[in-house]
Amino acid sequence: MYEGQALYHPKGWWGRYVFSQDHKVIALQYICVALAIGLTGMFLSLLMRMQLGFPGLFESIDAGNYYQDVTMHGMIMVIYLLTALFLGGFGNYLIPLMLGSRDMAFPFVNMLSFWVYFLSVIILVCSFFVESGPTGAGWTLYPPQSILPGTPGADGAGILLMLGSLAVFIIAFTMGGLNYITTVLQSRAKGMNMMRMPLIIWCLFLATFLGLLAFPALLVGAIMLIFDRVLETSFFMPEIFKGGEVLNYGGGSPVLFQHLFWFFGHPEVYIIALPAFGIISELISCHARKNIFGYNMMVWALIAIAGIAFIVWAHHMYVAGMNPYLGFFFATTTLIIAIPTAIKVYNWVITLWNANIRMTVPMLYCLAFLITFLIGGLTGLFLGNVAVDVPLSDTYFVVGHFHMVMAVSPVLALYGGLYHWYPSVTGRMLDDRLGKIHFWITFVGTYLIYFPMHYIGFLGVPRRYYSNEQYDFIPESVNDLNQFITVCALIVGAAQFILLYNFIVSAVRGKEAGSNPWGACTLEWQTLESPPGHGNWGDKLPVVYRWPYDYGLPGATDDFVPQNIPDEQIT
Amino acid sequence: MNNITNNEERFMGLTHGQVFVYTLMTVISILFLFVTNAYLFRMNFEDWRSVPVPSLLWVNTGSLILASVGMAWTTNGAKKSDLQTIKVGLAIGGLFAVIFVSGQIWAWQQLTTSGFFIAANPANTFFYLITALHALHVLGGIAAWFYVTLKTFKQDASILQPESIGLLGTYWHYMLLVWVMLFGLLLTT
Repeated sequence: MYEGQALYHPKGWWGRYVFSQDHKVIALQYICVALAIGLTGMFLSLLMRMQLGFPGLFESIDAGNYYQDVTMHGMIMVIYLLTALFLGGFGNYLIPLMLGSRDMAFPFVNMLSFWVYFLSVIILVCSFFVESGPTGAGWTLYPPQSILPGTPGADGAGILLMLGSLAVFIIAFTMGGLNYITTVLQSRAKGMNMMRMPLIIWCLFLATFLGLLAFPALLVGAIMLIFDRVLETSFFMPEIFKGGEVLNYGGGSPVLFQHLFWFFGHPEVYIIALPAFGIISELISCHARKNIFGYNMMVWALIAIAGIAFIVWAHHMYVAGMNPYLGFFFATTTLIIAIPTAIKVYNWVITLWNANIRMTVPMLYCLAFLITFLIGGLTGLFLGNVAVDVPLSDTYFVVGHFHMVMAVSPVLALYGGLYHWYPSVTGRMLDDRLGKIHFWITFVGTYLIYFPMHYIGFLGVPRRYYSNEQYDFIPESVNDLNQFITVCALIVGAAQFILLYNFIVSAVRGKEAGSNPWGACTLEWQTLESPPGHGNWGDKLPVVYRWPYDYGLPGATDDFVPQNIPDEQIT
Repeated sequence: MNNITNNEERFMGLTHGQVFVYTLMTVISILFLFVTNAYLFRMNFEDWRSVPVPSLLWVNTGSLILASVGMAWTTNGAKKSDLQTIKVGLAIGGLFAVIFVSGQIWAWQQLTTSGFFIAANPANTFFYLITALHALHVLGGIAAWFYVTLKTFKQDASILQPESIGLLGTYWHYMLLVWVMLFGLLLTT
């Protein structure tokens, strides 16, 4: 079906809006489903915070469903919200448009990818309604605990639905990922060589590669865990005694599961972080009206990050029992990955230097991302070192760290991206005033939530305790801090509805955006129609003459030159 | 008519389908690499008792080789636009792939009858897991084979797409290669 294939034209309402093969519609479908399940994940986090801040206030929150909330919150946010939103949402919308293509290479497979993702979400949601409830094993699903009676969701279908949902998600991701790889390699407009691609495309491309190579580890782990749970095999299950009786398990290795999980789990951090890096690169250059500093260096730094991301996984397992030399190796690789990451941060900062910075909402998010990612990265240096990690392991310091680096940072980039590309999708601008209110509450609020967690962690408060009362080593002040954090979390949670309101109202009443409201150079703003129509480019595909960051070119009429403008038309 | 591939940059002269299938094969290779790693990790534990590999697996391997030969024949026919050769090759390729999967199921029954139950020992579990995962991927290939065969028998040679047939052949050879490696692993450990 490949060479010379005609563009698919939808027939009827269902074909146009539901079972659509248009990458833009599929992107919106991904975004809507991911945001909906993400709101559920946020609600679960608020329930957790209510228990920690005001223990016993809600009688319905017992230890069992607290752990279910923790588990489902983690899994939903990492996999079903961030991975799906960045790659399924942004990837689908931006890849064909920014490359000057009409659609993904395989539109039908692309459509299937969304529906299989949707199925995975449905399976996940079903686990809330089965008798055992969802799994409460923690998002890492470590055996033997995750499948043994006594763990919430382990007795019934909860854990199986989680593992099944993950397997289905991985199938969806693979279908989408194969499409992204093929489209980036094969469907670039004439002149769009690899080193003229916008950095976000590089980021999505590499994040997809990471996902395609890392998710199979999780798939294998999930399948083997299903075997252990259903067939009572012993891939991961050691000999276990319960009530004086030996269970049917024996000889398995829980550490094997940890290796499989984290071989996926650490690249997953970058599957989320790389698209965030890409968004920041685009936004910073455009809203600072300056070409990105060190494009080639940025690309190679991304490739280095993607490569090293595969040899750092065991830094999540320092306390699992590890040969000290192995710990030394993983500590070293973990610190080495900071080098290409720092290159990117320096380049963003240098891009801002002496730039004509416009304090738009997307730029606010960029600046907030830079600071937050820096802080999250610095606390990562603590945890990357074995000697410091061991005492801090499983404390709230870890919770503070990973939320700063892989929750708040990507979400800030995500919001920046949503504000930036919203006009391309709807043809209207989001309300600036509401955007700034939403930004400041979110930005300041998240710091008030996660900064104290670092301190609580230093005090040695364990991260997974349902209740911090009745422990001599936990000072009373921790409870006060927990109350403060909970109040902040409620405020930040409520503030997200400002964004939702802004989204809905601006789509109808927002200011008309015009074709290129930010004065960007990349191709998604150069379509004939705005918002771009089916097929994106009318009769002729664009031809690319330059890189995507030609801001402030001497002699040019405007302070930006789009990628599809030849030299002779600049002045 | 709007043409998706009109006026676009290419990667190393490859077609869309080639990039898709080669990337897919890379992902599948990674999957089996993880299973193999887990196998080698787990076999070092003292409860491991190797499974006697059923001799039927040699016959199944022969079937998969014949399936691969059939697909090579088809690919050759597609290059020459020889519809008859394509049809015969497709029939051989598909038939022996189905025989292979059926043979694997039969081998599982033989093992179960002999008392090598799935949960009795980790070596047994891995045997069933590895062979089932591979058979599932062959079944995926059979689904694609079904689609291509249906199109082939409906169309005449002049409008056949040699690329689809070629890629199907590549996937068949790849499945054979993966099986030979897995079979070698099971035999030698």
